[in-house]
Formats: sequence, C-alpha cells, structure tokens
Amino acid sequence: MADVAEKTTNGNGDGGREEIKVEGEVKEGGGGGMGVGGGGGKTRLVDLRSDTLTCPSAGMKKAMVEAILGDDVLGEDPTVNALQERMAQLLGKESGVFVPSGTMANLIAVLIHCDRRGCEVFVGDNCHIFLWEQGGVAQFGGVHPKSLKTLPDGTFSLTELRQAVRRDNVHFPRPALVCVENTHNMEGGKVLPLSWLDELAVTCRELGLALHMDGARLLNASVCLGVSPERIVRHFDSVSVCLSKGLGAPVGSVLVSSAQFIERAKRLRKGLGGGMRQSGVLAAAGLYSLQHVYPRLSQDHQHVQIIAKAVNECVGGAVTCDPGGAHTNILMLTCDPACVTPDQFCLRMETVEEGEEEAVGERVSCRMISINGTTVRLVTHNDISSDDVDALVKKLVYVINSLSGSQR
Amino acid sequence: MVDRKKKDVVVTNMKEEYIGHSIEVTPFADSEIEGGSLSMGSLEDGGPAGAVPTQMTVSVEEGIEEGAEMEVVEMKHSPEKKRKVRIYSQKFRKEWIHLKEFQGWLTEGITDDRAHCTVCDKELLAGKSELIKHSRGKKHRTLAAKSNPNPPPVQHGLSRVIDEDGMPHLLRIVDLRSDTVTQPSREMKKAMMEATLGDDVFSEDPTVKTLEDRVAQMLQKEAALFVPSGTMANLICVMTHCWGRGSEAIVGDQSHLHLWAQGGMAQIGSVHHRTIKNLPDGTFSLNEVRGLVRDEHDAQSPLTSLICVENPHHNAGGKAIPLNWMDELGAMCSELGLPLHCDGARLINASVALGTSPARIVQACDSVSLCLNKGLGAPMGSLVIGTKEFIAKAKRLRKVLGGGLHQSGIVAAAGLWALDHVAPRLSWDHTHARALAQSVCEEHSSAVTVNLKDVHTNVVLLHCDNIRVNAKKLCQRLASVTDEESEELSEQIVVMALAISDTTVRLVTHCDIRKEDVRSATRKLKCLKYSCR
Repeated sequence: MADVAEKTTNGNGDGGREEIKVEGEVKEGGGGGMGVGGGGGKTRLVDLRSDTLTCPSAGMKKAMVEAILGDDVLGEDPTVNALQERMAQLLGKESGVFVPSGTMANLIAVLIHCDRRGCEVFVGDNCHIFLWEQGGVAQFGGVHPKSLKTLPDGTFSLTELRQAVRRDNVHFPRPALVCVENTHNMEGGKVLPLSWLDELAVTCRELGLALHMDGARLLNASVCLGVSPERIVRHFDSVSVCLSKGLGAPVGSVLVSSAQFIERAKRLRKGLGGGMRQSGVLAAAGLYSLQHVYPRLSQDHQHVQIIAKAVNECVGGAVTCDPGGAHTNILMLTCDPACVTPDQFCLRMETVEEGEEEAVGERVSCRMISINGTTVRLVTHNDISSDDVDALVKKLVYVINSLSGSQR
Repeated sequence: MVDRKKKDVVVTNMKEEYIGHSIEVTPFADSEIEGGSLSMGSLEDGGPAGAVPTQMTVSVEEGIEEGAEMEVVEMKHSPEKKRKVRIYSQKFRKEWIHLKEFQGWLTEGITDDRAHCTVCDKELLAGKSELIKHSRGKKHRTLAAKSNPNPPPVQHGLSRVIDEDGMPHLLRIVDLRSDTVTQPSREMKKAMMEATLGDDVFSEDPTVKTLEDRVAQMLQKEAALFVPSGTMANLICVMTHCWGRGSEAIVGDQSHLHLWAQGGMAQIGSVHHRTIKNLPDGTFSLNEVRGLVRDEHDAQSPLTSLICVENPHHNAGGKAIPLNWMDELGAMCSELGLPLHCDGARLINASVALGTSPARIVQACDSVSLCLNKGLGAPMGSLVIGTKEFIAKAKRLRKVLGGGLHQSGIVAAAGLWALDHVAPRLSWDHTHARALAQSVCEEHSSAVTVNLKDVHTNVVLLHCDNIRVNAKKLCQRLASVTDEESEELSEQIVVMALAISDTTVRLVTHCDIRKEDVRSATRKLKCLKYSCR
C-alpha cells in the first residue's frame, strides 16, 4: 500500500511565488515502494524522474479556460495559431505547427525531409530519435538511420559524418538529413557548443544535407548559453521544441521551419492522427509557459548545481557526479557497482527507512530513473521547489554516506 | 406622434407600508408622458385586522408611444421616500435593428423591455430615444470605432462583423459544418481544470484511466486507450489487427477510413485494403465480402486480416446501421476467422437513434473507435476499445505515432464530463436535424431536396439538382445575406454548411446549436426559395 505524499509545489513562475499545496496521487504500482517503514507522518515526495511530470499551475489553468478556441483542423483556432506564430518568431523561422508530442514532431520532420524512397538520416547513436522513438522513422517512413558515435559533450565527429555520407552507388541509400539533439538528454542534458553547431551547418551545406534539431529542451540550452534560441537554430532547416517538459505545459510540442515545410507537416500531422480540434485549450498552456515559465528555467539549473555539489561533497564515492558536466536541469549520478547498483540506489532513495526521519529531519521520498548499469538520472523542473531541493539534498547525503560505509 | 390618453394601470403587490403615501410617476425618456402623481388615499383598506388589499387600479394621464405595452408593476421600497415607479415599459422592436443609428450593435435584450448593446456589452432600456442617446455617448462611440487588429474568429452565435465598406453588421451565425466545431462549455472547462492529473506516459494520469475504464465498461469490452484523434484511433486499430507484414483490410467504399484518412492505412501502416460497395443504408453485401476474402495459400495475395464497418455511416447521411445486420456481419466474421473493427466515431448517436445501448451495437466487434470531439462536444480526443491484449499493442502504436500525451487528463476530463452531460441530450441534435430537414421538405422545391426518412441522427444531406443550384452555390448562398432576405427575416442569418460533393450539402447539428439557431436556420432555408427557383 502506498503512502499518500504531500507534495509542495513552487510558484511556477507566477511572479508572486504562490505556494500551492498539491495532494500527491496514490500511486498504483509504479517503481518501488513508498514510505516503507516508520509510523504515520506525511512523506515529502520529490519526483525527479522527468520534467514531463509538471502539472499546470493555477495561472496556466486560467489561461487555458480563457483561451479563444476554434476547430484547428479547419485552421480556425486562434490560440493554436498564436502559439505557432510565437514559437516560429522565437526561433526565427517562418512557420510552426502544434503537435501532440515531441515524438510526433521529430517523426514528421524526418519523414518530410526524407520524403522519397530509400533515404538515409544521420543521427547520434545516443539520441532520442534513434533510441527512444520506437524506430518510427523506419517503421513509418522507410528511412534508414545511420548512427554516429556520440561524444561525451553530446556532439559527434564531423569527420565521421563526412566519411559516413556515401552517394552514387546502388548499394547505398540516399543521404538526406542530419539530426542533432540539444540539449542532449542521455549525455546529461548537455548543451551543444554553438561553434560546433555552426561548423556542422557548414559541413551539411557542403554535403547537400538538410539539418534538423530535436530541441525538446532547446530553451534550457538557450538559458544556459545566455543566447537567444534563434541564434542557436539559425542554420537549422527545422526544429522541434517541447512545451510539456521543463516549460511545464501539460501536452504538446511545436515543429518550426519554412512556411512550405510546415504546410506539408500539417498534412502529415493529419495523416498520423495528430489533427486535434479545439486544441487551443492546450496551446494556451504553451503560450503561458513561454511567458511565465521560460523566464525561470535557470532556477531548475541552479537546483541541479546545488544537488551536484552536495553529492560530490559526500565521502566514500558510492555515488558521484560531475557538476561541470551538468549544464541544465539534468544530473547524471554514477553509482559504484561495488557499493550499490542504480536500481538499488533508486529504490533506496524512494524508501524511508528506520531512523532516517530523525537524521534527515523529515520523511522524504525521492524518485529517479536508472538509465543503465551505472547511471541514475534526475531532472529538476517547475514543480520542484527550493524546499524540495533542500530536503532532497539532506536525504541524498544521508543515503550516500550510509552506502559508502557498507561495501558489498 | 404621441397619443394622449387615460390609461388604467394595475399596481400589484401593495404592502401595508405603502398605503397612504403618494407615488410620483417618472416620465420615460422616450415618451412624453406627463408626470402625474397618484394618491393612494382612495384605497379602501380592510382595516388593521383585515387583509390588506394587494392591488389597486390607478388612473394616469400619459402619452404612450405606439407599441408600448402596459405592464403590471410590483411595488417595493421604503415607504419613507417618494417612490418613482415605472408604469409601463416599451418593448423592444425588431425593426429597430435596421435603422442606421442602431445598425451593427443593437440586439434584443434579456427581457422584452430591454435591448442589448453588443459593443458595450450592456443591457439598455428598450426605448428608442434612450437608445439613440446611448449611441451618441462618448464611451459607445469610442468602443465602436476601435478597430481590432486581431478580431476573434467569426464563430457560431451572434457576431459583429465589418464588411468591406466598413459597415458593421450583426450576424447570427449558425455553424452546421460539423459537430467538431463545438466549444467546451463553462462547466466542462471547470471539470477540466479540477481534474487530478499525472503523466500518462508513465500511466499515472488517474483521469485518463477513469475515462478509459468508463468507456470500456460502457461498451462492455476489456480495455480502452485515449488518443488525440479519431484518425489515430482508426489507424491504430487497423495496424494492430494487421500486425503482420502483407496484410489486407476490407472497408466500405464510402467509409471514412477509405475516403478521409489520407490513405493512412497504406501510407503509415503499410496495410493494403480492398473496398466493398456501401449500400445507401451504410451496410454492404455480406456475400460480396465473402468473395473478397483472400486465399491464404496464394502467394500472389496479401492476407485478409480485418473487416471494418462504420456506424453510424457518415457519408450515407449519418445512418444508424441496422442491429440485426451488425449481428449477421459479426457472425460471418467469426465464421471466417476475421476480426471486425467498428469505426464508431458517432456511436452514441447511433445508440440514441436505435434506442439501444452502445454495447449492444458493438457486441460482435473486436475493436471500436469512439470520438469524444464530435457530437459529445469535448475539445479533442477519441478512444480505442478492445481486449487487454489488443490495447497493450495499441498503446505501443500510439507511442510511436506520437500520440503519447503527458497530463492528458485535462482533456480526458472533458470527455468524462461529456459522457455525463452531453450524451444524455444527443436526441436534441437529432430533433434539430429533423426540423431542418423538414423545413426544406416543406418548401417542395425540386432544386434542393432531402429525404426526411434518411435523417437518423444529427446529419442532414441536402441534394441539389445541379441545374438551378449546385452544392457549392448553395453553401455560398446559405453563408451570405441579401438585403431582401435581411428585411424579410428582420435578422441577418448566416448558415455555414459543407459541400461534400458537387451535389450534396451536409448540415450537422450539435450541442452548440440552440432552439433559436434552429429557428433562424429554418427561416433561412425557407428563404432560399427566392434564389433556387
């Protein structure tokens, strides 16, 4: 039986930092138990599994209720149109299309760039399009993905790219597109260097390849670099941006590109089943987040730095991280398998054990995700307050120190 | 011209406190009534012990403008003060809206003695001089002159639009293009905002789960899956049934799946299909279907993997498919070892038309798609319904297609609200559709015809003779307002409809269509005889 945790959420960028107390849902199943051991008392749930967990704030809901709506399949929803224009403007592109998810945004982009039989797309071997979209580009688009080794900074070698592009031989598919991911999720939310992006653009132009950016967390990159999103994507033919991640909207992404590309994208969106009707109700949340949540993204980055610093100050090395490598709102924790595996660590962090409440000062349950044999990922977001971070840090320090003391 | 006459006015609800006080009659701004005073001294009361009379008749000399009506006025107020009492009230007159000073902003008020200024969004007394005075007011003129660079879209209901000459017009727009144009009501939005949310990609949104369980139970199937659109719901169903390479589906040649899904089955699903001729009632010949089923040992043939049916059948005019035929089809599919999918976009409408539960209709179907964003009025969303195993595969397909939403409980809540509050009133949409069809029938025009018997649900198909009028022209005519029509109807009515072929115009009623809209639309349809002779 799971504990009902009381979760405090932050002001969600509403200027006045209103504290909204939200009852945590009673989780059915899910990863690991919660609040095991100890008697009674409320448990603070700090859910860092992803920034997709954010729920709309009161201000966002108000914007959603007040939005003017229409049938977007007929192009008559003014709120959706406004969001599309706003995002296109922000990224310096001609047009945009609102879609239900980042997966669909990327799928549409690849399928339009690779619109003829036998195309090839070049992607990093650790990127979301390659690993986490169910092979959709092949399944639906008949597109062959050629993976390039992802470097620790999220980039790949341009030399390797040049070598991989092969033409004019009946054995080869037709190279059509290069995709990059910024920020790079699996590399720990790393921001791709601007200079590399510019060089990549030059290379692609030379090689006659189109360029797409999976910018799910693009605005985090923009905040980290202190440059406009337009500058980052200046040389890209198309960009996808998620509203449902750090920006805190409940649903949706926007794909931006030239007007002609977006017309085709709208068509494909319909064919895939992404044509929604009065979706202005969701687009309104997106517009709200661009105005109110985007300006506070740097706070999520600061939270990561606080957590990273605290982790590194622990002794024993059971769990370590690289604060310098944490550019944005994602932190990768490396577990020493001799002390603890990532799954064990996640379970331990979620559980409240005997004596812990006294040491930490309260009952804290933290959820994270183990992503491979040695790594645990945590993601800060709009619904994580400074108090949550303080409580989390206390728990992390307590747990890591206790783990370091007990070698397996 | 003012008629001076004596009028008897009945004042009711007299209270003891008022007796013996004099009441001053205030002249109306637009009338030349002379202030008079009434003395209630003539009242005979029944004494302190007896009942206090509750009404009295007083005579007032006044000038009353033609068209004004007497009204019985309630007296309430402190007896200490001299009371101003309105003795009669001017009723709103429809012909005023055509007058130059009132054009483009004046409309009827909430009660018949009130008018409404759509520019100031204010209720006004329905007196002509008072309205003129209002139109000359600084605030009204400023608001009227303000040009809105991004005017809200012309939408269903009363809309103020500016024509190319800069003249304002007040139009009653009746949007019958589709039942997808419905807007969420205030109560629906409240339900959306109060929904408990979670991340549905982690299967943690309780509102989405509630909706899925509810719809599965309603159709008496094992499980359901919430998806962004009906197109995706059908695509997922076809792809899930046709999971293996080289599959083929059998679909009606007039079905939505075949005509209006952008060939998604082939484009996205790599599924081949064959069509079976749809009969006018939306069904097809079961014998012919048998003939289309492929020989699995023939390497030249794809493998028949699925049969699809649409209920109600939209292209056939929203016809509810006969129940016994659905059962027969189900039995045949069982015999052939083929799954049966029902595109039930408007299934609840069929259920209302047939007077039977939705579960009964799809009893023999292995999977169903159901839309919340059509007649049910939710802003978006549909459901895939089937067995647990089917839904597990469907969920996977939903993800790869890009239909995995995060806090989608916010729109699922609208669906739940719709099932509770909109589904029970769907029969009204059918009644409204029949009323529209009837108004066309009554014209006995050979240019535009409709068969009343064909109107089963909320869809009306108007057939044009293509001689005097074709579908495109009819739609244009319905959407425009002529001066004669405006004068005859005392209203500027725009009916938005869709030409679905060269000769067929489709009207679809929905929950945003009120009685007044139906009345206006029928008046407009009757008016067409001038243009379609």
